[in-house]
Amino acid sequence: MERKKTMVRDIDRTVYDIKDKVNPSYQVREGLTAEIVGEISKAKNDPAWMRDFRLKSLEIYNELPMPGWGPSLDGLHMDDIVTYIRPNTPMRGNWAQVPDDIKNTFERLGIPEAERKSLAGVGAQYDSEVVYHNVREEVRRQGVVYTDMESAIRDPKYGPMVKGHFMKLVPPTDHKFVALHGAVWSGGSFVYVPPHVKVSIPLQSYFRLNAPGAGQFEHTLIILGEGADLHFIEGCSAPKYNVANLHAGCVELYVAKGAHLRYSTIENWSKNMYNLNTKRALVEEGGTVEWVSGSFGSHVSYLYPMSILKGENSRMEFTGITFAGKGQNLDTGAKVVHAAPHTYSNISTKSISKDGGVCTYRSSVEILPQSYGCKSSVSCESLMLDDRSRSDTVPAMDIRNDDVDVGHEAKIGRISDDAIFYLMSRGISEEDARAMIVTGFAEPIAKELPVEYAVEMNNLIKLEMEGAIG
Amino acid sequence: MKVAFQHANVLPGRTWNRLGINDTEFRAEAAKAVPYGDKAVSLPAGVTLSAEPFPAEIETGMGKEAADFVEKNRNCGVSLRVAAGAKPERPVFLPYELDGARSAVVDENAVVAGEGSEVTVVMSYRSRADLAGFHGGLTRLYAAKGAVIHLIQVQLLGDRCAHFDNVGAFAEENGKIDVIQAELGGRRALSGVKTRLDGRKSRLNMDAIYFGDRKRSIDFNYVAEHTGKKTASEIHVSGALLDESEKTFRGTIDFVRGAKQAVGHESEYNLLFSPRVRNRTAPLILCSEEDVDGQHAASTGKIDADRLFYLMSRGLSELEAKKLIIEAQFRPVTDRIPDEELRAAILEYVKVRLNGLESLG
Repeated sequence: MERKKTMVRDIDRTVYDIKDKVNPSYQVREGLTAEIVGEISKAKNDPAWMRDFRLKSLEIYNELPMPGWGPSLDGLHMDDIVTYIRPNTPMRGNWAQVPDDIKNTFERLGIPEAERKSLAGVGAQYDSEVVYHNVREEVRRQGVVYTDMESAIRDPKYGPMVKGHFMKLVPPTDHKFVALHGAVWSGGSFVYVPPHVKVSIPLQSYFRLNAPGAGQFEHTLIILGEGADLHFIEGCSAPKYNVANLHAGCVELYVAKGAHLRYSTIENWSKNMYNLNTKRALVEEGGTVEWVSGSFGSHVSYLYPMSILKGENSRMEFTGITFAGKGQNLDTGAKVVHAAPHTYSNISTKSISKDGGVCTYRSSVEILPQSYGCKSSVSCESLMLDDRSRSDTVPAMDIRNDDVDVGHEAKIGRISDDAIFYLMSRGISEEDARAMIVTGFAEPIAKELPVEYAVEMNNLIKLEMEGAIG
Repeated sequence: MKVAFQHANVLPGRTWNRLGINDTEFRAEAAKAVPYGDKAVSLPAGVTLSAEPFPAEIETGMGKEAADFVEKNRNCGVSLRVAAGAKPERPVFLPYELDGARSAVVDENAVVAGEGSEVTVVMSYRSRADLAGFHGGLTRLYAAKGAVIHLIQVQLLGDRCAHFDNVGAFAEENGKIDVIQAELGGRRALSGVKTRLDGRKSRLNMDAIYFGDRKRSIDFNYVAEHTGKKTASEIHVSGALLDESEKTFRGTIDFVRGAKQAVGHESEYNLLFSPRVRNRTAPLILCSEEDVDGQHAASTGKIDADRLFYLMSRGLSELEAKKLIIEAQFRPVTDRIPDEELRAAILEYVKVRLNGLESLG
């Protein structure tokens, strides 16, 4: 059979690429100095402990080296990045009060509509600050706290809780860009779900970076009480500029005994974005964290959500898909540390590379000496759609006792001619057969997403197959 | 003689430094590498010793530091040429016995197989159990069009020995590199094998077994680089870790752009017998060609309880059953070694070591 190429269109980015006029109420100048960090701290009216924390983080940032592995960061110059841009509005609890240009952006992204239909609460961040935060009354009555980080820090009841958890799980010493986050962070969400409270519909935070040459450094802190249950969704996007933008967010998730947290992300940054995000969950006895991660945007990504299974019988599940097109180098995966006996992890990822895009799957599974009776299973599949692209698989396992069951499988390849032939022999056209196979490849991930996001993902991928091209 | 490499067995795609898997150090104190003695090698018809320089351009699995060390300090080794079309019936045996007078063996070897030839070379390294010895080897293989090279390396050194085997191979069209490595002894053992499948339809077959007991530390770096069309690699590693032993395995299939319809399969099977072992694995697939098929599978854990139960229900004690399972794991590889005496020596070596072990019971 003649070997044909499958045409898969680029992600349609029109809606994400609409730029608003940059109209901040306040911004710092480009670069990163103690003076700028002090200025951000002052502008945000930080408590003293936070100002000291920022300055300490900056020192750590200056001491730490750049990563010696992963995609090139040569195009990222901190001297050109504006680390704090405050939008021209305070945070509102009602969309009608949000300025029209900002509101229209979120309308186009479908956020207020999703809030009305299927979410328990929404936070919307525009550049460096949250412009909208609201949670349904019935959820609030359950004692659930969902607010922006700044309000949480200053809250007499939850302030001490924030102080006790903020960057304790991801310390600024972890790596250079998390130290940067510690120094200049702003925005993000705080969620507290009291013990045994189950939030039946998801909460969502959406992060929009509008200004060119800017950085977004939001901090998400979620604390689940014993036996609590939450689904949290995070979305992000930005219009494309021809200067580098930077996203170095940080997500800390505390999952108490018997609690269950699902954390879904659809990342759709523009292709000038350096996405150097750090996410980590600490899971206590019998708790579960589930990560669902779709990485479609950004120029360069380093993204490996980490789960520390601290309590016996805790578990993690990671389901991820990465799609790299032209000009993209997306280094994604997951990390898990089995720090207690009888803990379970399951990592399942898919990646698609096309048109010169580079996907790297990177992971680590560590089983500590005291963690007997653990099970871990890793499966990663990569699909290459042309020979200009690249796809690497770099998993690592470190197993330090014998009472374990660890499995790993990886596959890489193109769309199989045999599969096409089989489907065609059943009366399906070649074009449809290719479409079915690629859609089927992404399906196990798509079905993990909330319905409206699965639709968005399908729109994003636009797996419109055209045979006989190439 | 001090032996020290900072960065041996470098992982072809770096990852987090924290995991300590990007490369490894090697340090050993060794006696001066005195001439090993020109014990005449018995060569079958069609194989000759060559005076030509070793083919230094072939890249090796452990890397340049280790290769340079051997080139500088070699005290033995052979450079073999196999005539085009020659298929000698018997293998070339290169047995090395480390003893008091010759406790350091540094061998540089080359096998250049002419068009359509097929040759088997068997290297073995043994020592007295209590000898503090050192072996460092460098072997380069070149398979011309349609040639087949079988390289068998068996390491049964004592607990006080340090050892490394650094291998590089290159295959032309329809050439085949077939390597068996049995890394069973030594205190610290490193092995790196890099094969470049350059010619159309060239193939690599790589089978390795390892055995870790006491405080042994074993470190592998296997790389199959596919540059030719329709090339095929098979890398299969299996072994057992007991006591406080540790093993690191890096296995990389690298599909370079243009290696259309290449196929690479890699598997690893680790049996763990003690709560104090450490098993690290980094199975990489690097790919810049769409029209390929790459797969990796790894499985690590205890002996399957059902298997153990079955054997015990047949009257074996738990210890006997475990020994049988370990032996069975090595058998498919040892059975391919074309020398009765060496096969028996391997099984005996493992048996003796298993008899002395507490952790199995």
